[in-house]
Amino acid sequence: MTKFSLVEFSIRRPKLVLLLAGLLTLVFLTQFPKIRTDTNPKHMLPETSDVRVWNDAVDKTFALYEDTIVVGVENDAGVLNRDTLGRIARITDGILGLDGVATRDVNGFTTITNVTAEAGTLKVGPLMPAAPRTDAEVEALRAALFGNTLFVDRVISKDGKTTAIYVPLEKGANGAEVAGKIRDIVAKEKGPERYYVAGDPVARDTFGAEMFKLMAIFSPIAGMIMFAAIQYMFRNLALSAAMMGVSMVAIIWSIGLLIGAGFPVHIMSSMAPVFLMAIATDSIHIFNEFYFRYKERGDKLAAIRETMAAVSRPVRFTALATAAGFAVLMFMNIVPVQVFGALIAFGTVVLRLLSFSFIPAVLTFVREDRIARAAGGESVEGDRTARALGRLGAFGAARPWTTVAVALVLVAVSAWGTSKIHVNNNLVAWFKASSEIRVADTTMNRALGGTSLGYLVVESKEAEFMKRPEAMRWMEGLQRHLETMPVVGKTFSVADYVKRINRVLHDDDKQYDVVPDTKDTVGQYLFLFSMSAKPSDLDNVVDPVFGKANVWIQMKTWDAEAMRQVIAAAEEYQKANPLPVTVKPAGIAYFNLVWNDEVLGDLVLGFGLALVVVFVILALDFRSARWALVGYVPLLFTILLIYGVVGFVGKDFDMPLSVMSTLSLGMAVDFAIHFVSRLRQRLAEMGTTDLAQALAWTAARPGKGIMRNAMLFAAAFSVMMAAPLTPYVAVGAFIVAMMLLSALLTLLLLPALVTLGQRWLLDKPMPAAVVAPQPAIGG
Amino acid sequence: MKRWIALLALALPLSVWAVSGEEVMKKSQAAFLYPGKDFKVRVLMKLINRDGQERVREMTMLRKNTGAAGGEQKYFMYFFQPADVKDMTFMTYKYPAKDDDRWMFIPAVNMVKRIAAQDKRSSFVGSDFTYEDVSGRDVEDDNHVIEREEKLGSRDCYVVKSTPKAGDADFGHKLTWVDKATFLPVKEEQFDRKGAPYKQFTADEIADVKGQPTVIKRTMKNLQTGHRTEVGYLKSEYDLGLEDSLFSERFLRQPPRKWVD
Repeated sequence: MTKFSLVEFSIRRPKLVLLLAGLLTLVFLTQFPKIRTDTNPKHMLPETSDVRVWNDAVDKTFALYEDTIVVGVENDAGVLNRDTLGRIARITDGILGLDGVATRDVNGFTTITNVTAEAGTLKVGPLMPAAPRTDAEVEALRAALFGNTLFVDRVISKDGKTTAIYVPLEKGANGAEVAGKIRDIVAKEKGPERYYVAGDPVARDTFGAEMFKLMAIFSPIAGMIMFAAIQYMFRNLALSAAMMGVSMVAIIWSIGLLIGAGFPVHIMSSMAPVFLMAIATDSIHIFNEFYFRYKERGDKLAAIRETMAAVSRPVRFTALATAAGFAVLMFMNIVPVQVFGALIAFGTVVLRLLSFSFIPAVLTFVREDRIARAAGGESVEGDRTARALGRLGAFGAARPWTTVAVALVLVAVSAWGTSKIHVNNNLVAWFKASSEIRVADTTMNRALGGTSLGYLVVESKEAEFMKRPEAMRWMEGLQRHLETMPVVGKTFSVADYVKRINRVLHDDDKQYDVVPDTKDTVGQYLFLFSMSAKPSDLDNVVDPVFGKANVWIQMKTWDAEAMRQVIAAAEEYQKANPLPVTVKPAGIAYFNLVWNDEVLGDLVLGFGLALVVVFVILALDFRSARWALVGYVPLLFTILLIYGVVGFVGKDFDMPLSVMSTLSLGMAVDFAIHFVSRLRQRLAEMGTTDLAQALAWTAARPGKGIMRNAMLFAAAFSVMMAAPLTPYVAVGAFIVAMMLLSALLTLLLLPALVTLGQRWLLDKPMPAAVVAPQPAIGG
Repeated sequence: MKRWIALLALALPLSVWAVSGEEVMKKSQAAFLYPGKDFKVRVLMKLINRDGQERVREMTMLRKNTGAAGGEQKYFMYFFQPADVKDMTFMTYKYPAKDDDRWMFIPAVNMVKRIAAQDKRSSFVGSDFTYEDVSGRDVEDDNHVIEREEKLGSRDCYVVKSTPKAGDADFGHKLTWVDKATFLPVKEEQFDRKGAPYKQFTADEIADVKGQPTVIKRTMKNLQTGHRTEVGYLKSEYDLGLEDSLFSERFLRQPPRKWVD
């Protein structure tokens, strides 16, 4: 009874195999029309995560909106003139009529609540009910704006050149659609003003568009580059097509499964096609060996069988390592990363399955004369690349101490660089500096109080507590304390309303711009305010029973670090000014901070897990912990070098990079697996004692496969360096660097280490490789 | 001949409905906001948010008609709750086709302040009722059309569609179910300017007070935010002989006991 062999089956029934693969692909393809994207950064963490539950509760308590679009209007000559104000009034009116806009809570000149006293009459109502018709009215508006701290830095910049309209969206509204209509509205206005449409929903939409661009444009380009590179390497269209076919099939199966299972495409999974294409290049080793074997044997089917026998173990184990490297991601806390890990792990398994069925099947169709011609150059002796690589390996083997010493110096320098790494996620910085969204963000941050919004929820166990003067003054003090920080632009709280009313009731006397002395006064002022203001004005800053207050903090940067500083400053303030309240951070800025820390935790966890898993796989493959340890070195070294560079360059260590470092273990280890497996095979097959010669051969022949693999990988990912989102660029650069470095190090450093450690590594009987076990001949 | 038919066709809706939309709304306003010469009531207002959290407003409201239905009125409110606003008073002189006059007494600083009434659309004491919802909107400000007649519960109603003549209302249009028997509005649906359902008023309980059918329980619900306000009338009385002098700054500061308990 013979064991079922997928390879045998595929060689015997190639057409059936291809047909089956084609049919299955069609099945997965039917899922594609259901594709959805998810660009909401909130979804990085599960809905049940503490921070999301808490933030939702805060939104509910204070009637806050999840999404707000900010429309900036800038005029170098100042916005306070009749023409610009007329335009602002028209634009706001247009926005109020848009579907999906929470009309009642739009805040701009024409709608924001103003509290004033004119001729003894208290006025609570919209700041500018209609566009001013006379210059005197414009001047009155200017006085109203700059005389009210609630407005400066919120709806008017200090220099009077910029204003903003805050447009909250109803739940479930399509932010992209609303933003588009707002752009149409401002486009109708002719004048010197510049308009900026910014805010979370806009960023998300832009992000989604860029993601599709990556998948629809950059992935195919990467594919074409790989195709061209393979064609250049093997000069056989059928082979190149087979390779691309394999990756296409794997991509369609994986993405089809993702969509079919109901998952949306996220920033991470949008990179899946490029990853799978790159991982598919592992099949290069099959072609590489096939060419060498075919040249040696001249019999196609025998060459296929022998090739599959020789490379099956390393190919299986590299696939296992890669799949494991990605599967580790499923243990992380960040949802899109989990999905991505599962997706690529599945794709890798599919790729390997195809390597043992689809590829041998295609190989049977390749015309012999074509292979003969293309394979003509494939011999270690006759190939310039192979010879150069052989010499590289030989150098490592001949000069092991020099090689290792240089490596150690680099390790030291990299370790220093690594210590400078700065973990930070800044979602706005994911867009390029020239992008519309970054420009808008920069402009608004410069002119107004800041676009990154965080809250500090001040909570007492006692209802009505927030009406106490000491609570009001405490919040006011907290605000002043926070405003001394460079990252904080503007803050506001219920205390600002109370002070404003106190001053206005006392004929706008500055002396009364303070919190009054009794709780009743505060209560009556707020009651008075609520008699005319929009319900949301108070709801946004206090809960219905006045047991909790919400302090708004606008920050000038999206760096997660900014919110950490705010929290620390609040704690410091509370220590210096004890009050029986708790202060809890909330809002999107806080979410980013929590998420940022999760990334760091995930990195440590994932990296640790990947280290263990990859080591176990190596040890299993080599059946030797020692070889596993040696095989590990180039890999660790590569990653350390890259971290060093990241540290020196000062690039933020963010989520995509952290995921990459985990993955890179599983991917970069491939080369070591191929190298060590084939080296030991060679030693066993030849029964040679000449380690240096065997090393040179390995560096030359499987080494060429490794180099080809690395080049293809790098070629595919280099395309991402031209992508419009910085995480893609960073990932592209990371992978290109990693592949080239780890290939180089495998071919140079491994021979040096093996040479140095030969006693330790070879002093016991050689374990079984593919050929029958043979006693090792100690060196 | 053809002209006659055309004229007949034009006249047809009128003859079918017998009364016009405007007439219905005028009668409704008279029944809802103007019954009696004067009126006194203890009002309990519950402001309830989406999650069922409640805030309470309790006040005594006095009203005196100085003209005919649809004409001038004076309102006086004395607050009991929330606790910290006790003794606050609020007074309105309501004029048709002109901005109201409003005053507020703030006991903590012992100050009477005139309050600008520029925005009738703003919320009344933080509730879902606007000033307009409380003291009425000028009938002339809207075009009224009887859309249909239908039964609401056991009541035969006119359903009147009112569309503001100018764009100053906080609604785009509204539908009012006016009870044919009492002319009280039993339900009102307000739509925003985008045509989406916005607020809904319901008269939850109507009782006979001294021969005047009076809405003693009502709810206004904001359909967009889920926030609602429930209002209950306790101890309503008509025709007490409220004096004009009661509606003055002096009594804002020191309202007579017997009128505000």
